[in-house]
Amino acid sequence: MENNDKLLKILSEDYAPEIDINARKRAVNLAVSEFKSARTEINKEKNQKTFQGFGFISRLIGINTRKGEKIMKDNKKSKFIYGGAATAIAVVFVGALSISQLDDTVSRHKQNISATIPTPDLKSDLEVSPAHVRVVEPQNKSDASVKFDDGLSDWKRSDSESSKEIISNLSSKTVEKEHQESGVTSASSIIAESDDVSGLLKQAPSYKDNGANAPLDNWTRLKAASKAPKMQEEHAPMPSVAQKFKSENKAIGKTFHGAAPNRTAQHNMAAPYPMPPIAHEQNRDKFEQFTVNMFKQVSAEPVSTFSSDVDTASYSFIRKALNSGRLPNPDAVRVEEMINYFDYNYPVPKSRAEPFKPTVVVTDSPWAQGRKLMHIGIKGYQLAKTELRSNIVFLLDVSGSMNAADKLPLVKSSMKMLLDSLHPDDMVSIVVYAGSTGVVLEPTKVSNRSTILDAMNNLHAGGGTAGAAGIRLAYDMAERNFDKHAVNRIIMATDGDFNVGITNHEELKRYVEKKRNKGIFLSVLGFGQGNYNDHMMQSLAQNGNGIAAYIDNLNEARKVLVQEATSSLFPIAKDVKFQVEFNPDAVAEYRLIGYETRSLKREDFNNDKIDAGDIGAGHTVTAIYEFVPVGSKAVSVDPLRYGKVKPMVNKGKSVNEYAYLKIRYKLPMENTSKLISMPVSKNIEYGGDMSDIRFAIAVAAFGQILKGSQYIGDFSYDDVIALAQQGKGSDPYGYRAEFINMVRLAKTLSR
Amino acid sequence: MPADIDKTELINRAKSGDADAFEALVNAYYEVMFKMAYKWCGNRRDAEDITQEACIKLARGINSYGCSAKFTSWLYVLVINTAKDWYKSQNRYPEGAGLLENIVANSDNSDEKLYTYQVLKEVNKLPDMEKESLILVMGQGLSHKEVADLYGVKESTISWRIHEARKKLNAIFSKEERYGK
Repeated sequence: MENNDKLLKILSEDYAPEIDINARKRAVNLAVSEFKSARTEINKEKNQKTFQGFGFISRLIGINTRKGEKIMKDNKKSKFIYGGAATAIAVVFVGALSISQLDDTVSRHKQNISATIPTPDLKSDLEVSPAHVRVVEPQNKSDASVKFDDGLSDWKRSDSESSKEIISNLSSKTVEKEHQESGVTSASSIIAESDDVSGLLKQAPSYKDNGANAPLDNWTRLKAASKAPKMQEEHAPMPSVAQKFKSENKAIGKTFHGAAPNRTAQHNMAAPYPMPPIAHEQNRDKFEQFTVNMFKQVSAEPVSTFSSDVDTASYSFIRKALNSGRLPNPDAVRVEEMINYFDYNYPVPKSRAEPFKPTVVVTDSPWAQGRKLMHIGIKGYQLAKTELRSNIVFLLDVSGSMNAADKLPLVKSSMKMLLDSLHPDDMVSIVVYAGSTGVVLEPTKVSNRSTILDAMNNLHAGGGTAGAAGIRLAYDMAERNFDKHAVNRIIMATDGDFNVGITNHEELKRYVEKKRNKGIFLSVLGFGQGNYNDHMMQSLAQNGNGIAAYIDNLNEARKVLVQEATSSLFPIAKDVKFQVEFNPDAVAEYRLIGYETRSLKREDFNNDKIDAGDIGAGHTVTAIYEFVPVGSKAVSVDPLRYGKVKPMVNKGKSVNEYAYLKIRYKLPMENTSKLISMPVSKNIEYGGDMSDIRFAIAVAAFGQILKGSQYIGDFSYDDVIALAQQGKGSDPYGYRAEFINMVRLAKTLSR
Repeated sequence: MPADIDKTELINRAKSGDADAFEALVNAYYEVMFKMAYKWCGNRRDAEDITQEACIKLARGINSYGCSAKFTSWLYVLVINTAKDWYKSQNRYPEGAGLLENIVANSDNSDEKLYTYQVLKEVNKLPDMEKESLILVMGQGLSHKEVADLYGVKESTISWRIHEARKKLNAIFSKEERYGK
């Protein structure tokens, strides 16, 4: 019941924006001219009836010519008036419509044309004799009148007089009006075309067979030609159109064999709309492939080194896949990103100078007896909102591929959400990239909200993608407005494709890296599916000291851009590296769960030149090792018979420690690293909330199941759910509940 | 919005061929039509296109308006039909995502925003017949009878559609209370 009230409230509320006066003007003008032409049509029908009554014979005899003249005069007069009105409207129309909108209208007409033309008639007429094409004319005209219903009604003059006039206009090359007619031109010129067809048919008898298609497809061609501003040139010299027409006829004759379905297919392809979903099904998502970390023997390789990772893209991507009813591609599963998607309540340091402190917990492994899990967590220092300033450049992909509900509209909504979480004095600018790159919004203060919103609302998708050029322009904007007290960041939103421009990943990476050293960071937000280039985004964001997040819905947009705005935007430590040295006296084997793509060489740890992950304010990073203590039956490898004799020094001390943890990091503005280190003793105690730990383990288990890991044994989805339920905690935003639902979904899908 | 008497007079004059009256009429009702279109598709661009189409349809269709239904109700149906045809001809569906364009701008409470957004998204997913009945009855406050007359079906059919739509929505939102508060 309560739900119904809410529903009533939501449905009856008005979310519609203010109407656009220009749009209204346009619609009213079109409607009024349609109205008028509908009227004159009715009148003319009447006139024509009387006219017909006088017919051929009466004219021959010469009676009542006066009446006929009068009617002609009236017609001419009204023609003149409507012609003027139509010209005016056409000017408004062409001026006010953006090219893409023009495309819409044109293709809509295209479809209507294909629907309305009575093909069989046309065909038979054409086959009988070329001269019969003329007979078809009236038919075409009546069809034209149906077509005109769709918005260009003002041009409707279905009386034979006016269409003949058009024909004569066109053929006598008086085409001054042509460019004003825009979409209409092709409709009227089809009539002229039929003349041409007859001529052509005479010239080339072989066209007879396919003649039925010829006029139709030349419509399409002509439409296509009239789409762009080019139209003017193309239409002006009539002979050249005829020329084109001729040569195209040949091609059309080959491809089209009078089969109507073919033709509709052609129309669909020519339409500038996003492909139907089927076309997206072929999966072009790109992921870096990697093999899962194996168990390593401590005696052979006691040290494990990796870079921190706060990205979450993998988790959102998996969610999107599951929600659309399929299990994710195992390559898309990065366990560490799943774990780090969630916020854990690790103890937080007290000042910004010490950006984080590690929390280590050792538990039994839930999926294998005799193994243990070492849980390493850090949480970044949380900055107060008031001390943060930012200079943000949005770099938006508006290429044609972004034209889908879960892409550009979602980008816009996400940006608006981010605006809410920024300080009024922060600067925002917008650069778009598609066929050409452009600045949509010069640097503007967030307080000037309406300007920013206007710019966002005017974004439309269309064109190719030239990501590299866009990146340069965005960096220029950020540099121009560089504020050394603020975080200068480019937020790039794309579905991941970089079709044109610099496609060389390495070159782009180096560019981003160079700019990073100047203090401008780059974050990448991924949208949509089917074309998603995960690898590219990850590498750009990693080189740009930013995050890579995948936004699949508004909830996610809120999480990344509003709730975690501070951590996403404000780094508190950079190049954060972990190194764990295992104690061979206590640990036989270990493996790191996840972080495959983040592993570092042992010597990289102390090398400050080596780049690693960054941590933003309030970010949490969690890594989980699974290890087998010495003496456990779970050891997978027999000890070496000729192995080294174990060092017995310090036995008393070392036997109580599993490992030694070291973390290196740099403060955001510094270039030398600092070190935090701590031993992991066997009886290490954790004062915090165990539910966080359980939950992280559940997520790790889920990731491994999705990945098809060999180490997870027969730990099932149900076990994951049970464990996650225990670790759900207070879950104020419902993210953990959502996780549990995802596991259920995966369970159903995997059957 | 002109008063009732003006409207009827305008409509009658337009029906008899008075272009000025028709222009005034379209001007007066553009907003009503636009709002309906927006409710249907949830984004400005589509809504403007649909409204424009509907205005043009109105030019030819005004004569078929018999005075049995309220003019606005009759317009709603005109707009909805135009929208359905429009999406069909374009081979796509209302996006709905654009709804948030304004929900975000209008409301302060982000949880409420999200909930509203989720509800509207689900409404968008309903079959056309249920969606239009729901929007007309719950959104525009028409009675079941009125809607039934407009579509030329029995009143019980409309009640059934509404019932079905509510059932579906309730099923979704009682399960996902986490979206609400």
